[in-house]
Amino acid sequence: MEQFLNPYQLFLIAILAITAPFLAFILSLIFKKIAAALGILSISISLISSVILFLHLWKKQTLHYSFQWIHIGNVKIDVGILLNDLSVIMLVLISLIALLVHIYSVEYMRKEILKYRYFAYLSLFCFAMMCVVMADNFFILYAFWELVGFSSYLLIGFWFTKEKAVQANKKAMIMNRIGDIGFLIGIMIMLSQFHTLDIDALFGSGSLIDSSFVQNGLWVTPFSTMPGYWLSIAGFCFFAGAIAKSAQFPLHTWLPDAMEGPTAVSSLIHAATMVAAGVFLLLRIAPLFNDVVLVSMASIGLFTAFMAASIALTQNDIKKVLAFSTISQLGFMVLAVGVQDNAAAVFHLITHAFFKCLLFLGAGIVIHQLHHIKEKSNVDFDEQNMDNMGGLRKLMPITGIVFFIAAMALSGLPFTSGYLSKDAILVSVFEWADLRGGIFWLFPFVVSITSWLTTFYIFRVVYKVFFGKLRLEKVIAKTKEQMHIHDPNYWMTVPVIILAVFCFGVFFAYNPLNLDSSWVYHGFNLQQHNEGIYHLMVPLYINVMSLALIFLAHLIYAKKKISINFEQTWYYKLSYNQWYFNAFYDVFLMKMVLFKAQTFYWFDRNIIDGAVNFSGIFILRISKTADWFDRNIIDGLVNGSAWLVSRLGLWLRGMLSGKLQHYFIWMLILFLSFMIFKIVI
Amino acid sequence: MIPLQHFLFISAALFSLGLFAIITRKNAIQILMGIELMINASILNIVAFGKYDKIDNTGQVFGLFIIVLAAAAVAVALVIIMNLYKRVKTIDPNQTNLLKG
Repeated sequence: MEQFLNPYQLFLIAILAITAPFLAFILSLIFKKIAAALGILSISISLISSVILFLHLWKKQTLHYSFQWIHIGNVKIDVGILLNDLSVIMLVLISLIALLVHIYSVEYMRKEILKYRYFAYLSLFCFAMMCVVMADNFFILYAFWELVGFSSYLLIGFWFTKEKAVQANKKAMIMNRIGDIGFLIGIMIMLSQFHTLDIDALFGSGSLIDSSFVQNGLWVTPFSTMPGYWLSIAGFCFFAGAIAKSAQFPLHTWLPDAMEGPTAVSSLIHAATMVAAGVFLLLRIAPLFNDVVLVSMASIGLFTAFMAASIALTQNDIKKVLAFSTISQLGFMVLAVGVQDNAAAVFHLITHAFFKCLLFLGAGIVIHQLHHIKEKSNVDFDEQNMDNMGGLRKLMPITGIVFFIAAMALSGLPFTSGYLSKDAILVSVFEWADLRGGIFWLFPFVVSITSWLTTFYIFRVVYKVFFGKLRLEKVIAKTKEQMHIHDPNYWMTVPVIILAVFCFGVFFAYNPLNLDSSWVYHGFNLQQHNEGIYHLMVPLYINVMSLALIFLAHLIYAKKKISINFEQTWYYKLSYNQWYFNAFYDVFLMKMVLFKAQTFYWFDRNIIDGAVNFSGIFILRISKTADWFDRNIIDGLVNGSAWLVSRLGLWLRGMLSGKLQHYFIWMLILFLSFMIFKIVI
Repeated sequence: MIPLQHFLFISAALFSLGLFAIITRKNAIQILMGIELMINASILNIVAFGKYDKIDNTGQVFGLFIIVLAAAAVAVALVIIMNLYKRVKTIDPNQTNLLKG
């Protein structure tokens, strides 16, 4: 394509893309009536700008504009935007998904009183996320990273009258803080080692990271030298930030709780924003990680993927299943970064965004319908519980079909986008294990199992919700004709249909069965994938097994031909209780913190307060004594002398009787006594 | 030549008589007379001792001074007594306590 905009114009377009949502955020709070329209308009502007940027910059050039901001001594912090291949594709992804979610939300939030607030927060969220993607500098990146966390806090707790929602957003905030401390420490290590926070200078071509090396246990850079282990520490610190944002083990527990927010928000958080920020960070700074960090990253990603997939198997809340599915898929992405196949991670991030967003929006439609029935029937039931659903395929065909497509994409069946991206990760893991051998063969083994678990749990949802009989009939004692369950109007169906279209592999590869023809994958993977045995075998055996599992799920949950009864087994309980992570945190961390707090409380109450009170009483006693001394001794002396003088005065006054002859007598007496005194002495 | 002692005895007697009159009399005029007696006793004393100063006769000179002063004092005292009488219609010093402190 011809280049018809110069870099400066592109820079202005990038600024426009981020300013529009921010303006929408402010204006939505002022013009409450048109908040939804403002939100959709602004995100549309962002989408158009992003597409223009994408067309100009993808695989062509890197746009880097920065301005002086803070100069303190040698430390220079600039502010600016850095748009490389990763940024532009993320921009398009974020604005596209956000636009669809905005449109969907118009219907989903129609009856909310505080709708304007919802759209304002949504705009803020998009603004923050796009700034994270564009930031050219760790300082800015960190600031907007926090803003993403904060705006997700606002959205998760949107129904702030619900106690659980408030708890959930608090939990998300605190969990993210733990990771953010790591991120901040990482930034400080980079600053002290390289004297710059510029991402392009650090990680771009001919970067400072490339020119630094570890020799004799020392990490040498052009600026300073540190012990070598600081390189690992820096990697782990950044990884900690990504762990919290992308909900990896052990900080994953906030994400299932975040389901308390509106479903549209969940879909946005899980697809394009928030959790994607963590993976994005890992991709942005990938050259930093050394082998130790990469192996731990792969291990954590693998463990998270497996654990979350196993939990998703038994959850009954439809949104909980999807939440654990997200955690599991993010585990795949982190695993991909860990095995140094960044292209696969980006690719999976993008394809996952579409089908996971679609799954959530589809679930949102079902929940929305059931919620209406609940309001009409006055029977209290859990509209998110899959035990109340079933057979919805015939009542809401569009929703059923798109949900089915998304489930196929999540399972990685052929012709879907998931087939390409997930198999890219699987193949990379196999090759990585092949290269290393030994214990590392555990990775492909576990990742295959996780992949099958994924297929099973998502088709469990599909068959429980859309096949079989509508179990709600028994709950509220009405037939399905009386309930009027139907597909929603265009505000909701159009976004999900668009998303469903993007679940097909043809958008990401010319040949939807061959990973190597994928333009996204090749955009990031510069060296040609060597044609190995795994490229053929891995997709084949994964998918054959997947199809078998789908059939099994069909028999169990749709036809009910096989009834399985393992609810008393330990592994069912482990999975149902989410591996007891919440209980563990409650017991060990919360109890410990509370115990510590209570101990300090007791210490404060009794020892500190006691000392303070004792000194108070002590001083009171001393001052009482001083008071008594003053009143009796000092005042007594003063009063006594005054009394003496007044007595003397009274006595002397008695002499002056006013009678003339008395004065004579007194004179005589004084004179005589003076004379006698003189004579005697 | 009359010895000095005789003068002194007479003087002391006169002084005592004057003093007695001052302390005991109920009449301001009589107290004034007592005062005169005492003044005269002191004049007699001074004049008697004046014989030891034959050159300058200081005793005699002082005697004359005191007589003049006593005359003036008596005049003032009489005026006071008359005013007192005008005010309180009595000259009994026991009946007036205007000087009481």
